[in-house]
Amino acid sequence: MTDDDNQDQRWLDAQLHLLDRQVLDVHGVPIAVVDDLQLSEVPMGVEIPQDTPPPVITALLSGPALARRIFGGRPPESRMIHTPWVAVRDVGVVIKLSVGRDTRDLSWTERWVRDHVIGHIPGGRHTPKGENNEPAQSNERGGS
Amino acid sequence: MKRVFGLALGILTAIGGFVDIGDLVTNAVVGSRFGLSLAWAVLVGVVGICIFAQMSGRVAAVSGRATFELIRERLGPRVAVMNLGASFLINLMTLTAEIGGVALALQLVSSVNYLLWVPFAAIAVWLVIWRVKFKIMENVAGLVGLCLIGFAVGLFLLGPDWNELGRQVLQEVSTGTEKATTYWFYAVALFGAAMTPYEVFFFSSGAVEEGWTTKDLAESRANVLVGFPLGGLLSLAIAGCAAVVLLRELIGVTALSQVMLPVAMAGGKLLLAFIILGVVAATAGAALETTLSAGYTIAQFLGWPWGKFRPPAQAARFHLLMIICLLVGIGTLMTGVDPIQVTEFSVVFSAVALPLTYLPILIVANDPEYMGEHVNGRILNGAALVYLVIILAAALAAIPLMIITGAGQ
Repeated sequence: MTDDDNQDQRWLDAQLHLLDRQVLDVHGVPIAVVDDLQLSEVPMGVEIPQDTPPPVITALLSGPALARRIFGGRPPESRMIHTPWVAVRDVGVVIKLSVGRDTRDLSWTERWVRDHVIGHIPGGRHTPKGENNEPAQSNERGGS
Repeated sequence: MKRVFGLALGILTAIGGFVDIGDLVTNAVVGSRFGLSLAWAVLVGVVGICIFAQMSGRVAAVSGRATFELIRERLGPRVAVMNLGASFLINLMTLTAEIGGVALALQLVSSVNYLLWVPFAAIAVWLVIWRVKFKIMENVAGLVGLCLIGFAVGLFLLGPDWNELGRQVLQEVSTGTEKATTYWFYAVALFGAAMTPYEVFFFSSGAVEEGWTTKDLAESRANVLVGFPLGGLLSLAIAGCAAVVLLRELIGVTALSQVMLPVAMAGGKLLLAFIILGVVAATAGAALETTLSAGYTIAQFLGWPWGKFRPPAQAARFHLLMIICLLVGIGTLMTGVDPIQVTEFSVVFSAVALPLTYLPILIVANDPEYMGEHVNGRILNGAALVYLVIILAAALAAIPLMIITGAGQ
Protein backbone atom coordinates (compact mmCIF):
# COMPACT_ATOMS: atom_id res chain seq x y z
CA MET A 1 0.00 0.00 0.00
CA THR A 2 1.40 3.38 -0.93
CA ASP A 3 0.15 6.71 0.24
CA ASP A 4 -1.99 7.43 -2.73
CA ASP A 5 -3.85 4.14 -3.02
CA ASN A 6 -5.20 4.76 0.49
CA GLN A 7 -8.96 4.32 0.22
CA ASP A 8 -10.00 7.88 0.89
CA GLN A 9 -7.19 9.28 -1.32
CA ARG A 10 -5.90 11.33 1.60
CA TRP A 11 -2.56 13.10 1.24
CA LEU A 12 -0.18 12.16 3.98
CA ASP A 13 2.67 14.42 4.93
CA ALA A 14 5.41 12.11 6.20
CA GLN A 15 6.64 14.72 8.65
CA LEU A 16 3.21 15.69 9.93
CA HIS A 17 1.20 12.46 9.77
CA LEU A 18 3.74 9.67 10.13
CA LEU A 19 6.89 10.66 11.97
CA ASP A 20 6.64 10.64 15.76
CA ARG A 21 3.15 9.14 15.73
CA GLN A 22 2.17 6.48 18.22
CA VAL A 23 1.89 2.98 16.71
CA LEU A 24 -0.77 0.64 18.09
CA ASP A 25 -0.98 -3.08 17.40
CA VAL A 26 -4.13 -4.89 16.27
CA HIS A 27 -5.43 -4.97 19.86
CA GLY A 28 -4.90 -1.26 20.40
CA VAL A 29 -1.82 -1.74 22.59
CA PRO A 30 0.95 0.84 22.09
CA ILE A 31 4.08 -0.67 20.57
CA ALA A 32 6.33 2.17 19.57
CA VAL A 33 6.55 5.57 18.00
CA VAL A 34 7.50 6.00 14.35
CA ASP A 35 11.12 7.03 14.73
CA ASP A 36 11.94 7.10 11.04
CA LEU A 37 10.76 5.85 7.65
CA GLN A 38 12.44 3.56 5.15
CA LEU A 39 11.94 4.47 1.51
CA SER A 40 12.40 2.25 -1.52
CA GLU A 41 15.85 2.48 -3.09
CA VAL A 42 16.73 5.74 -4.74
CA PRO A 43 19.85 5.40 -6.92
CA MET A 44 22.55 7.75 -5.68
CA GLY A 45 24.79 9.77 -7.94
CA VAL A 46 23.02 8.95 -11.19
CA GLU A 47 20.60 11.08 -13.09
CA ILE A 48 17.04 9.95 -12.50
CA PRO A 49 14.96 9.54 -15.68
CA GLN A 50 11.90 11.74 -15.97
CA ASP A 51 9.25 8.98 -15.79
CA THR A 52 10.64 7.07 -12.79
CA PRO A 53 7.91 6.38 -10.20
CA PRO A 54 8.49 8.23 -6.91
CA PRO A 55 9.97 6.17 -4.05
CA VAL A 56 7.45 4.52 -1.77
CA ILE A 57 7.56 3.93 1.97
CA THR A 58 8.62 0.36 2.64
CA ALA A 59 8.84 0.29 6.43
CA LEU A 60 8.45 2.18 9.67
CA LEU A 61 11.72 2.24 11.59
CA SER A 62 12.34 2.38 15.29
CA GLY A 63 15.10 1.80 17.78
CA PRO A 64 18.45 3.40 16.86
CA ALA A 65 16.61 5.49 14.28
CA LEU A 66 15.55 7.83 17.09
CA ALA A 67 19.10 8.43 18.24
CA ARG A 68 20.05 9.14 14.64
CA ARG A 69 17.41 11.81 14.33
CA ILE A 70 18.41 13.42 17.60
CA PHE A 71 22.19 13.19 17.47
CA GLY A 72 22.92 12.49 13.82
CA GLY A 73 25.25 9.75 12.62
CA ARG A 74 24.29 6.60 10.80
CA PRO A 75 23.96 3.27 12.64
CA PRO A 76 24.08 0.16 10.37
CA GLU A 77 20.81 -0.64 8.64
CA SER A 78 20.80 -4.11 10.19
CA ARG A 79 20.29 -2.67 13.67
CA MET A 80 17.11 -0.84 12.71
CA ILE A 81 13.87 -2.45 13.76
CA HIS A 82 11.54 -2.58 10.75
CA THR A 83 7.79 -2.73 10.65
CA PRO A 84 6.82 -3.36 7.02
CA TRP A 85 4.43 -0.81 5.58
CA VAL A 86 2.04 -3.59 4.51
CA ALA A 87 1.30 -4.21 8.19
CA VAL A 88 -0.14 -0.70 8.49
CA ARG A 89 -3.92 -0.81 8.63
CA ASP A 90 -4.87 2.78 9.31
CA VAL A 91 -3.23 6.18 9.67
CA GLY A 92 -5.11 8.59 11.90
CA VAL A 93 -4.05 10.44 15.02
CA VAL A 94 -2.39 7.09 15.74
CA ILE A 95 -1.04 4.48 13.36
CA LYS A 96 -2.76 1.12 13.65
CA LEU A 97 -1.15 -2.15 12.60
CA SER A 98 -2.93 -5.30 11.48
CA VAL A 99 -0.63 -7.54 13.54
CA GLY A 100 -0.23 -8.32 17.23
CA ARG A 101 2.73 -6.82 19.07
CA ASP A 102 4.16 -10.14 20.16
CA THR A 103 4.96 -10.96 16.56
CA ARG A 104 7.13 -7.89 16.18
CA ASP A 105 10.81 -7.57 17.00
CA LEU A 106 9.86 -4.11 18.05
CA SER A 107 8.74 -5.10 21.50
CA TRP A 108 11.50 -7.52 22.48
CA THR A 109 12.67 -5.24 25.32
CA GLU A 110 9.12 -5.13 26.65
CA ARG A 111 8.94 -8.93 26.56
CA TRP A 112 12.39 -9.27 28.15
CA VAL A 113 11.51 -6.99 31.07
CA ARG A 114 8.18 -8.75 31.49
CA ASP A 115 9.68 -12.25 31.51
CA HIS A 116 12.77 -11.50 33.57
CA VAL A 117 11.73 -8.79 36.01
CA ILE A 118 8.13 -7.68 36.34
CA GLY A 119 6.57 -11.13 35.82
CA HIS A 120 8.53 -12.46 38.78
CA ILE A 121 7.28 -9.89 41.29
CA PRO A 122 4.16 -11.18 43.09
CA GLY A 123 1.02 -9.65 41.63
CA GLY A 124 2.76 -8.68 38.44
CA ARG A 125 0.25 -10.42 36.23
CA HIS A 126 -2.75 -9.32 38.24
CA THR A 127 -5.38 -7.21 36.50
CA PRO A 128 -6.70 -4.40 38.71
CA LYS A 129 -10.32 -5.46 39.16
CA GLY A 130 -13.15 -3.23 38.09
CA GLU A 131 -10.81 -1.00 36.16
CA ASN A 132 -11.86 0.21 32.81
CA ASN A 133 -9.75 -2.04 30.68
CA GLU A 134 -10.47 -0.18 27.49
CA PRO A 135 -8.24 2.84 27.20
CA ALA A 136 -9.77 5.93 25.68
CA GLN A 137 -7.76 5.24 22.56
CA SER A 138 -10.82 3.53 21.08
CA ASN A 139 -12.53 6.84 20.45
CA GLU A 140 -9.95 8.72 18.46
CA ARG A 141 -10.98 10.72 15.48
CA GLY A 142 -9.88 11.19 11.93
CA GLY A 143 -8.29 8.91 9.43
CA SER A 144 -11.22 6.54 9.05
CA MET B 1 -27.90 11.58 42.64
CA LYS B 2 -24.96 9.43 41.66
CA ARG B 3 -23.82 12.15 39.28
CA VAL B 4 -23.99 14.79 42.00
CA PHE B 5 -21.99 12.54 44.27
CA GLY B 6 -19.42 11.90 41.55
CA LEU B 7 -19.10 15.61 40.91
CA ALA B 8 -18.69 16.42 44.60
CA LEU B 9 -16.15 13.66 44.99
CA GLY B 10 -14.17 14.92 42.01
CA ILE B 11 -14.12 18.46 43.31
CA LEU B 12 -13.11 17.41 46.82
CA THR B 13 -10.35 15.26 45.33
CA ALA B 14 -9.10 18.17 43.26
CA ILE B 15 -8.96 20.41 46.34
CA GLY B 16 -7.12 17.84 48.43
CA GLY B 17 -4.86 16.89 45.54
CA PHE B 18 -3.87 20.42 44.61
CA VAL B 19 -1.45 21.08 47.47
CA ASP B 20 1.85 19.19 47.50
CA ILE B 21 5.13 19.60 49.35
CA GLY B 22 6.17 22.37 46.94
CA ASP B 23 3.06 24.42 47.70
CA LEU B 24 3.33 23.73 51.44
CA VAL B 25 6.94 24.80 51.76
CA THR B 26 6.97 27.68 49.27
CA ASN B 27 3.80 29.22 50.65
CA ALA B 28 5.01 28.98 54.22
CA VAL B 29 8.42 30.43 53.33
CA VAL B 30 6.82 33.27 51.42
CA GLY B 31 4.26 33.92 54.16
CA SER B 32 7.00 34.10 56.78
CA ARG B 33 9.07 36.57 54.74
CA PHE B 34 6.66 38.60 52.64
CA GLY B 35 3.30 38.14 54.37
CA LEU B 36 0.51 37.91 51.84
CA SER B 37 2.10 40.38 49.43
CA LEU B 38 2.74 37.55 46.93
CA ALA B 39 -0.83 36.22 47.02
CA TRP B 40 -1.20 37.46 43.44
CA ALA B 41 1.44 34.97 42.25
CA VAL B 42 -0.60 32.07 43.66
CA LEU B 43 -3.69 33.49 41.98
CA VAL B 44 -1.94 33.82 38.61
CA GLY B 45 -0.61 30.27 38.94
CA VAL B 46 -3.99 28.80 39.85
CA VAL B 47 -5.73 30.42 36.87
CA GLY B 48 -2.92 29.12 34.63
CA ILE B 49 -3.13 25.55 35.86
CA CYS B 50 -6.94 25.65 35.47
CA ILE B 51 -6.61 26.74 31.83
CA PHE B 52 -4.01 24.17 30.85
CA ALA B 53 -5.13 21.25 33.02
CA GLN B 54 -8.65 21.31 31.64
CA MET B 55 -7.22 21.74 28.12
CA SER B 56 -4.95 18.71 28.48
CA GLY B 57 -7.81 16.72 30.01
CA ARG B 58 -10.07 17.67 27.12
CA VAL B 59 -7.45 16.69 24.54
CA ALA B 60 -6.99 13.33 26.30
CA ALA B 61 -10.73 12.71 26.58
CA VAL B 62 -11.49 13.57 22.95
CA SER B 63 -8.43 12.16 21.16
CA GLY B 64 -7.17 9.58 23.65
CA ARG B 65 -3.69 11.13 23.47
CA ALA B 66 -1.81 12.05 26.60
CA THR B 67 0.36 15.14 26.86
CA PHE B 68 3.83 13.72 26.26
CA GLU B 69 2.79 11.87 23.10
CA LEU B 70 1.73 15.26 21.78
CA ILE B 71 4.92 16.98 22.89
CA ARG B 72 6.99 14.62 20.77
CA GLU B 73 4.59 14.63 17.86
CA ARG B 74 4.37 18.42 17.65
CA LEU B 75 7.87 19.50 18.67
CA GLY B 76 9.86 16.71 17.01
CA PRO B 77 12.31 14.42 18.75
CA ARG B 78 15.10 16.92 19.34
CA VAL B 79 13.12 19.54 21.22
CA ALA B 80 11.00 16.85 22.86
CA VAL B 81 14.05 15.04 24.19
CA MET B 82 15.24 18.29 25.80
CA ASN B 83 11.83 18.73 27.36
CA LEU B 84 11.83 15.07 28.39
CA GLY B 85 15.23 15.41 30.05
CA ALA B 86 14.21 18.55 31.93
CA SER B 87 10.73 17.32 32.90
CA PHE B 88 12.04 13.94 33.96
CA LEU B 89 14.74 15.41 36.18
CA ILE B 90 12.36 17.89 37.76
CA ASN B 91 9.87 15.11 38.24
CA LEU B 92 12.50 12.99 39.94
CA MET B 93 13.39 15.92 42.20
CA THR B 94 9.75 16.50 43.05
CA LEU B 95 9.27 12.78 43.69
CA THR B 96 12.24 12.81 46.05
CA ALA B 97 10.89 15.89 47.81
CA GLU B 98 7.42 14.38 48.21
CA ILE B 99 8.75 11.15 49.72
CA GLY B 100 10.93 13.25 52.00
CA GLY B 101 7.78 15.19 52.92
CA VAL B 102 5.90 12.03 53.86
CA ALA B 103 8.87 10.90 55.96
CA LEU B 104 9.22 14.30 57.67
CA ALA B 105 5.52 14.36 58.54
CA LEU B 106 5.77 10.84 59.95
CA GLN B 107 8.81 11.91 61.96
CA LEU B 108 6.70 14.62 63.60
CA VAL B 109 4.18 12.02 64.79
CA SER B 110 6.63 9.31 65.76
CA SER B 111 9.87 11.04 66.80
CA VAL B 112 11.63 8.44 64.67
CA ASN B 113 14.23 10.01 62.39
CA TYR B 114 12.77 10.71 58.95
CA LEU B 115 15.56 8.79 57.22
CA LEU B 116 14.16 5.61 58.72
CA TRP B 117 10.72 6.42 57.33
CA VAL B 118 11.99 7.07 53.80
CA PRO B 119 12.20 3.43 52.61
CA PHE B 120 8.82 2.62 54.12
CA ALA B 121 7.20 5.62 52.48
CA ALA B 122 8.71 4.69 49.11
CA ILE B 123 7.67 1.05 49.40
CA ALA B 124 4.12 2.11 50.34
CA VAL B 125 4.03 4.33 47.24
CA TRP B 126 5.21 1.44 45.10
CA LEU B 127 2.64 -0.99 46.57
CA VAL B 128 -0.17 1.41 45.79
CA ILE B 129 1.07 1.85 42.22
CA TRP B 130 1.48 -1.90 41.87
CA ARG B 131 -1.90 -3.01 43.16
CA VAL B 132 -4.46 -0.31 43.93
CA LYS B 133 -7.04 0.83 41.39
CA PHE B 134 -6.39 4.23 39.86
CA LYS B 135 -9.72 5.68 40.97
CA ILE B 136 -9.37 4.53 44.58
CA MET B 137 -5.79 5.79 44.74
CA GLU B 138 -6.84 9.23 43.52
CA ASN B 139 -9.91 9.54 45.72
CA VAL B 140 -8.36 8.38 48.99
CA ALA B 141 -5.31 10.62 48.69
CA GLY B 142 -7.45 13.59 47.67
CA LEU B 143 -10.09 13.18 50.36
CA VAL B 144 -7.66 12.64 53.24
CA GLY B 145 -5.63 15.56 51.85
CA LEU B 146 -8.68 17.71 52.55
CA CYS B 147 -7.54 17.66 56.21
CA LEU B 148 -5.29 20.52 55.09
CA ILE B 149 -8.39 22.66 55.56
CA GLY B 150 -7.01 22.74 59.09
CA PHE B 151 -4.74 25.55 57.84
CA ALA B 152 -7.79 27.66 57.03
CA VAL B 153 -9.35 26.77 60.40
CA GLY B 154 -6.07 27.64 62.08
CA LEU B 155 -5.95 31.02 60.35
CA PHE B 156 -9.42 31.88 61.68
CA LEU B 157 -8.55 30.64 65.18
CA LEU B 158 -5.44 32.82 65.19
CA GLY B 159 -7.83 35.77 64.94
CA PRO B 160 -5.56 37.85 62.72
CA ASP B 161 -6.01 41.50 61.91
CA TRP B 162 -7.82 40.99 58.58
CA ASN B 163 -7.27 44.60 57.55
CA GLU B 164 -3.55 44.12 57.96
CA LEU B 165 -3.63 40.92 55.87
CA GLY B 166 -5.70 42.74 53.27
CA ARG B 167 -3.12 45.51 53.12
CA GLN B 168 -0.39 42.92 52.58
CA VAL B 169 -2.29 41.43 49.64
CA LEU B 170 -2.55 44.82 47.95
CA GLN B 171 0.99 45.89 48.74
CA GLU B 172 3.08 45.80 45.60
CA VAL B 173 6.60 45.13 46.72
CA SER B 174 7.43 44.21 50.26
CA THR B 175 9.28 46.81 52.23
CA GLY B 176 11.76 46.04 54.97
CA THR B 177 14.96 44.11 54.58
CA GLU B 178 13.95 41.96 51.58
CA LYS B 179 15.32 42.90 48.18
CA ALA B 180 13.15 43.24 45.09
CA THR B 181 15.00 40.41 43.34
CA THR B 182 14.19 38.03 46.22
CA TYR B 183 10.56 39.07 45.99
CA TRP B 184 10.47 38.23 42.29
CA PHE B 185 12.39 35.01 42.84
CA TYR B 186 9.66 33.84 45.17
CA ALA B 187 6.97 35.04 42.77
CA VAL B 188 8.46 32.69 40.15
CA ALA B 189 8.74 29.90 42.72
CA LEU B 190 5.08 30.22 43.74
CA PHE B 191 4.06 30.29 40.09
CA GLY B 192 6.17 27.19 39.40
CA ALA B 193 4.75 25.41 42.45
CA ALA B 194 1.19 26.04 41.29
CA MET B 195 1.81 25.13 37.64
CA THR B 196 4.24 22.17 38.08
CA PRO B 197 4.35 20.26 34.78
CA TYR B 198 3.72 16.88 36.40
CA GLU B 199 0.18 18.03 37.11
CA VAL B 200 -0.76 18.10 33.42
CA PHE B 201 1.18 14.90 32.66
CA PHE B 202 -0.76 13.22 35.43
CA PHE B 203 -4.07 14.85 34.63
CA SER B 204 -4.04 13.98 30.93
CA SER B 205 -2.68 10.47 31.46
CA GLY B 206 -5.24 9.98 34.23
CA ALA B 207 -7.98 10.87 31.76
CA VAL B 208 -6.73 8.06 29.51
CA GLU B 209 -6.42 5.71 32.51
CA GLU B 210 -10.02 6.33 33.47
CA GLY B 211 -11.17 6.07 29.85
CA TRP B 212 -12.76 9.52 29.71
CA THR B 213 -14.86 10.34 26.69
CA THR B 214 -16.51 13.53 25.54
CA LYS B 215 -19.36 12.72 27.97
CA ASP B 216 -17.01 13.29 30.90
CA LEU B 217 -15.90 16.72 29.75
CA ALA B 218 -18.39 18.74 31.80
CA GLU B 219 -17.51 16.89 34.97
CA SER B 220 -13.77 17.22 34.46
CA ARG B 221 -14.15 20.92 33.76
CA ALA B 222 -16.09 21.37 37.01
CA ASN B 223 -13.45 19.43 38.94
CA VAL B 224 -10.70 21.68 37.66
CA LEU B 225 -12.51 25.01 37.70
CA VAL B 226 -13.91 24.57 41.22
CA GLY B 227 -11.41 22.19 42.82
CA PHE B 228 -8.14 23.87 41.85
CA PRO B 229 -9.13 27.41 42.94
CA LEU B 230 -10.30 26.04 46.29
CA GLY B 231 -6.98 24.20 46.51
CA GLY B 232 -5.32 27.55 45.79
CA LEU B 233 -7.22 29.04 48.74
CA LEU B 234 -5.66 26.34 50.92
CA SER B 235 -2.25 27.48 49.67
CA LEU B 236 -3.11 31.03 50.66
CA ALA B 237 -4.27 29.85 54.08
CA ILE B 238 -0.85 28.25 54.59
CA ALA B 239 0.82 31.52 53.62
CA GLY B 240 -1.64 33.41 55.82
CA CYS B 241 -0.85 31.30 58.89
CA ALA B 242 2.85 31.85 58.32
CA ALA B 243 2.28 35.58 57.79
CA VAL B 244 0.38 35.98 61.05
CA VAL B 245 2.72 34.05 63.32
CA LEU B 246 6.12 33.57 61.69
CA LEU B 247 6.46 36.97 60.01
CA ARG B 248 5.81 38.76 63.29
CA GLU B 249 8.19 36.54 65.26
CA LEU B 250 10.81 36.66 62.47
CA ILE B 251 10.95 32.87 62.29
CA GLY B 252 12.37 31.56 59.00
CA VAL B 253 10.91 28.37 57.60
CA THR B 254 13.61 25.74 57.27
CA ALA B 255 11.69 22.67 58.41
CA LEU B 256 8.26 21.16 57.96
CA SER B 257 7.51 21.61 61.69
CA GLN B 258 7.70 25.39 61.22
CA VAL B 259 5.09 25.19 58.46
CA MET B 260 2.73 23.66 61.00
CA LEU B 261 3.75 25.75 64.01
CA PRO B 262 1.07 28.44 63.56
CA VAL B 263 -1.67 25.81 63.38
CA ALA B 264 -0.41 24.13 66.53
CA MET B 265 -0.46 27.48 68.31
CA ALA B 266 -3.99 28.19 67.16
CA GLY B 267 -5.71 24.84 67.42
CA GLY B 268 -3.62 22.74 69.78
CA LYS B 269 -2.86 19.07 69.45
CA LEU B 270 -6.12 18.05 67.83
CA LEU B 271 -5.84 20.45 64.91
CA LEU B 272 -2.14 19.64 64.59
CA ALA B 273 -2.92 15.92 64.30
CA PHE B 274 -5.48 16.78 61.66
CA ILE B 275 -2.97 18.85 59.71
CA ILE B 276 -0.24 16.20 59.90
CA LEU B 277 -2.69 13.64 58.51
CA GLY B 278 -3.45 16.09 55.72
CA VAL B 279 0.24 16.66 55.00
CA VAL B 280 0.95 12.91 54.89
CA ALA B 281 -1.95 12.35 52.49
CA ALA B 282 -1.12 15.33 50.31
CA THR B 283 2.56 14.49 49.98
CA ALA B 284 1.91 10.76 49.55
CA GLY B 285 -0.70 11.56 46.90
CA ALA B 286 1.78 13.81 45.11
CA ALA B 287 4.49 11.13 45.44
CA LEU B 288 2.14 8.74 43.62
CA GLU B 289 1.40 11.34 40.96
CA THR B 290 5.06 12.18 40.35
CA THR B 291 6.12 8.52 40.26
CA LEU B 292 3.42 7.75 37.72
CA SER B 293 4.30 10.89 35.77
CA ALA B 294 7.92 9.74 35.55
CA GLY B 295 6.65 6.55 33.95
CA TYR B 296 4.10 8.34 31.77
CA THR B 297 6.55 10.83 30.25
CA ILE B 298 9.18 8.30 29.15
CA ALA B 299 6.67 5.63 28.10
CA GLN B 300 4.74 8.15 26.01
CA PHE B 301 7.88 9.58 24.44
CA LEU B 302 9.08 6.11 23.39
CA GLY B 303 5.65 4.66 22.65
CA TRP B 304 5.71 1.95 25.32
CA PRO B 305 2.51 0.46 26.72
CA TRP B 306 1.72 2.33 29.93
CA GLY B 307 -1.00 2.76 32.50
CA LYS B 308 -2.32 1.36 35.71
CA PHE B 309 -5.34 -0.07 33.91
CA ARG B 310 -3.06 -2.76 32.47
CA PRO B 311 -1.62 -5.54 34.62
CA PRO B 312 2.02 -4.64 35.37
CA ALA B 313 3.21 -7.49 33.12
CA GLN B 314 1.46 -5.79 30.20
CA ALA B 315 3.32 -2.55 30.84
CA ALA B 316 6.58 -4.05 32.07
CA ARG B 317 9.05 -1.31 31.12
CA PHE B 318 6.71 1.36 32.52
CA HIS B 319 6.61 -0.39 35.89
CA LEU B 320 10.34 -1.14 35.93
CA LEU B 321 11.06 2.52 35.25
CA MET B 322 8.91 3.63 38.18
CA ILE B 323 10.66 1.16 40.49
CA ILE B 324 14.02 2.58 39.41
CA CYS B 325 12.80 6.15 40.01
CA LEU B 326 11.66 5.28 43.53
CA LEU B 327 15.03 3.64 44.25
CA VAL B 328 16.83 6.76 43.01
CA GLY B 329 14.56 8.85 45.24
CA ILE B 330 15.39 6.72 48.29
CA GLY B 331 19.09 6.85 47.45
CA THR B 332 19.06 10.64 47.09
CA LEU B 333 17.31 11.15 50.42
CA MET B 334 19.66 8.71 52.12
CA THR B 335 22.61 10.97 51.32
CA GLY B 336 21.08 13.26 53.94
CA VAL B 337 20.14 16.02 51.51
CA ASP B 338 17.54 18.34 53.04
CA PRO B 339 14.13 17.48 51.50
CA ILE B 340 12.96 21.07 52.03
CA GLN B 341 15.82 22.37 49.89
CA VAL B 342 15.14 19.77 47.21
CA THR B 343 11.58 21.07 47.18
CA GLU B 344 12.63 24.67 46.78
CA PHE B 345 14.88 23.81 43.85
CA SER B 346 12.25 21.64 42.20
CA VAL B 347 9.63 24.41 42.08
CA VAL B 348 12.07 26.88 40.53
CA PHE B 349 13.23 24.42 37.87
CA SER B 350 9.59 23.60 37.20
CA ALA B 351 9.14 27.16 36.04
CA VAL B 352 11.95 26.65 33.49
CA ALA B 353 10.31 23.62 31.86
CA LEU B 354 6.84 25.13 31.60
CA PRO B 355 6.82 26.61 28.06
CA LEU B 356 7.82 23.42 26.23
CA THR B 357 5.10 21.54 28.07
CA TYR B 358 2.19 23.90 27.62
CA LEU B 359 2.78 25.03 24.03
CA PRO B 360 2.08 21.61 22.40
CA ILE B 361 -1.13 21.23 24.42
CA LEU B 362 -2.34 24.55 23.09
CA ILE B 363 -1.42 23.63 19.50
CA VAL B 364 -3.21 20.28 19.58
CA ALA B 365 -6.24 21.70 21.40
CA ASN B 366 -6.74 23.78 18.26
CA ASP B 367 -6.31 20.92 15.78
CA PRO B 368 -9.65 19.70 14.41
CA GLU B 369 -8.10 16.41 13.33
CA TYR B 370 -7.73 15.56 17.01
CA MET B 371 -10.47 17.59 18.58
CA GLY B 372 -13.33 17.70 16.05
CA GLU B 373 -15.92 20.15 17.38
CA HIS B 374 -14.17 20.36 20.75
CA VAL B 375 -11.39 22.70 19.62
CA ASN B 376 -10.56 25.69 21.85
CA GLY B 377 -12.80 28.72 21.75
CA ARG B 378 -11.41 32.18 21.06
CA ILE B 379 -11.54 33.43 24.63
CA LEU B 380 -9.72 30.36 25.90
CA ASN B 381 -7.08 30.73 23.19
CA GLY B 382 -6.64 34.39 24.09
CA ALA B 383 -6.18 33.56 27.77
CA ALA B 384 -3.82 30.69 26.94
CA LEU B 385 -1.68 32.96 24.74
CA VAL B 386 -1.44 35.55 27.51
CA TYR B 387 -0.35 32.74 29.81
CA LEU B 388 2.27 31.51 27.39
CA VAL B 389 3.85 34.97 27.57
CA ILE B 390 3.80 34.88 31.38
CA ILE B 391 5.15 31.33 31.41
CA LEU B 392 7.95 32.28 29.05
CA ALA B 393 8.86 35.30 31.16
CA ALA B 394 8.91 33.17 34.32
CA ALA B 395 10.98 30.48 32.62
CA LEU B 396 13.56 32.99 31.39
CA ALA B 397 13.74 34.79 34.71
CA ALA B 398 13.93 31.71 36.95
CA ILE B 399 17.60 30.76 36.67
CA PRO B 400 19.03 34.32 36.65
CA LEU B 401 16.92 35.20 39.69
CA MET B 402 18.08 32.06 41.44
CA ILE B 403 21.72 32.97 40.83
CA ILE B 404 21.34 36.65 41.80
CA THR B 405 19.48 35.88 45.01
CA GLY B 406 21.47 32.76 45.93
CA ALA B 407 18.20 30.76 45.77
CA GLY B 408 16.31 33.27 47.85
CA GLN B 409 18.82 33.64 50.68
